Amino acid sequence: MAEEFLVVKDLHKSFNEFKAVNGVSFSIEKGAIFGLLGPNGAGKTTTIRMLSTVLEADSGDITIGGHSVRHDAEAVRRIIGVCPQDLALYEDLSALDNMVFFGRMVGLNGDEARAQAMTNLELMGLEDRAKGKVAKFSGGMKRRINLAIALMGNPQLLFLDEPTVGIDPQSRNHIYENILGLQKKGMTILYTTHYMEEADRLCQRVAIMDGGQIITLDTPYKLKSQIGSPEQVTMEDVFLKLTGRSLRD
Amino acid sequence: MKRALYITLNEVKLYLQDKGDLAFGLLLPIVTFALMYGAFGGQTLFEATAVIVNEDGGNYSTLFVEHLDEVEGIDVELLTATEADAKLERSDLLLALVIPAGFSQALASGNKAELVFKQRGNGGQEGQILASIARSVAGEMNQEFQVRDQVKSSLEGTGIPGDRIDVTVQQFLEEERGQPAVGVVEEVVGGSPDFISQFLPGIVTMYVLFALTLSARTIVEERKRGTLERLLTTRLSANELFFGKFLASVTRGFVQTLILLGLSYAVFQLFTPLSFIASLVICLIFAAAAAALGLIIASIARSEDGSVWIAVVFTMVMVMMGGTFFQVSEGSILATVGKASISTYANDALRTVVAEGGSLGDTVWQLVVLAGICVVGLAISRLIFKVLPGGK
Repeated sequence: MAEEFLVVKDLHKSFNEFKAVNGVSFSIEKGAIFGLLGPNGAGKTTTIRMLSTVLEADSGDITIGGHSVRHDAEAVRRIIGVCPQDLALYEDLSALDNMVFFGRMVGLNGDEARAQAMTNLELMGLEDRAKGKVAKFSGGMKRRINLAIALMGNPQLLFLDEPTVGIDPQSRNHIYENILGLQKKGMTILYTTHYMEEADRLCQRVAIMDGGQIITLDTPYKLKSQIGSPEQVTMEDVFLKLTGRSLRD
Repeated sequence: MKRALYITLNEVKLYLQDKGDLAFGLLLPIVTFALMYGAFGGQTLFEATAVIVNEDGGNYSTLFVEHLDEVEGIDVELLTATEADAKLERSDLLLALVIPAGFSQALASGNKAELVFKQRGNGGQEGQILASIARSVAGEMNQEFQVRDQVKSSLEGTGIPGDRIDVTVQQFLEEERGQPAVGVVEEVVGGSPDFISQFLPGIVTMYVLFALTLSARTIVEERKRGTLERLLTTRLSANELFFGKFLASVTRGFVQTLILLGLSYAVFQLFTPLSFIASLVICLIFAAAAAALGLIIASIARSEDGSVWIAVVFTMVMVMMGGTFFQVSEGSILATVGKASISTYANDALRTVVAEGGSLGDTVWQLVVLAGICVVGLAISRLIFKVLPGGK
């Protein structure tokens, strides 16, 4: 069995009276892509924020690469990269300037940051637009830059929070290929999405969250088998069966 | 610490890219300076227009008008009686000098003649100064007449023609005026407490305050955009992030003061080199205090609109209470209330240096207060600032 790179035990987080995360536990093996699915308001983003040290958990343990998030957050931040759900870019700067800036923030010097920035831009197919202002990029290009920034510093664990929202199929496919390429290089990835086919295509294991809790966790194949023939049942069928068809805010 | 400096540099870069902020921060002070220069530039002496109604038209009235026109800073405008009365009626004019008919004839005959000041109320400040100058010119003419009469009286019976006596007396008087018995020497000991040096400190501090409290908007924007949150997932600590933002705000405010003070130094010549450096030091400490308060606003505000409203109200209150547009009298209620405004201390310190010729040592008290506000403001804002609700 592969080494567990991320271990989450009984995580809790409340905002005033509202329990956003209510006893979440899971683990991710090194080099795996782990899917975290759930309807709006399930607690996915809050969970990722706690794992990426932005929010402090009320209780529970998180260990990443052998480092405790609660006691050794600085060591954790050295080995993670985060691609947030919302585009977190400086639109008045160029793509290269954005990446060099965040590269410096993860500890690279100027030359290293520039070199890595160009490598990641090539990976995303944006090397020709390095000096272009981000404000002039299309939505798909901005998503790719958003992802490229998360790769600065060569993180060992990558958090991808709905990285393909609102982009065209070509850009989405390009991102899928990049993610699979990163996994082949040994990167561990936590991937959240609303697009079920993404989870099916990319993730070795999938956890479905609802109401702040994980209601099921298994491989896509086994999850589909629970409700029918895996060749005919889709992950969307699994998702709707487990979380219901009622609308969420 | 290095990462905090990169945060600062990134902020400055973003500021230079934001055309709106750049226009407000850099161009507007330059435009304001240009307006000030247009209004007050180079006019350190009194300048006014003397409106004269010359109903006489004779030699002596013409001579009087010429003498008045020769006074530095005075322009003469001749109007008819009807025109002058109409302007006085409308209060377009507060004082007109009337030379009545028969003025020259009376003087030529050796009789007394009178000038009339037609005025509304006391003629206003400018009118009173003009009247004083007119009296001085009339006084000089009186002297001429007295000297001429005395010389003529002394030389009566000698057969010397009267017009020769007049010419000689005139030459003598001109020589005397060129080398008076009692001379006046101007010795400039420092900046003058004129209007521009009273007004400039308030303009400088007002712009700094506006710019820095509005920088709270950019922090709230960043929080909303998610870049603040992203930064916290890197090796950047919350303290480094905070300090970087603070340094960026101070830099922005200081650059503005550098532009305004630099232009004032070059054009208005209000400063000595030492007083210029002292002014920059005062502005740097003031910019730091204002930046700290801007961070408190960023910590409190939950939206960009909210941050702008809080910043604008805060700035206007500080500006009004701080004696920006008028000097506050010692011991007045406004002086007491003004002690709650950081602008008060900055304006007082700058006026001490610019208008009163003081040094940094004379502003220690104000600088200590401003530095204290900076430290306390930073501490408070750091305690309450959160990137996310429930976060760091």
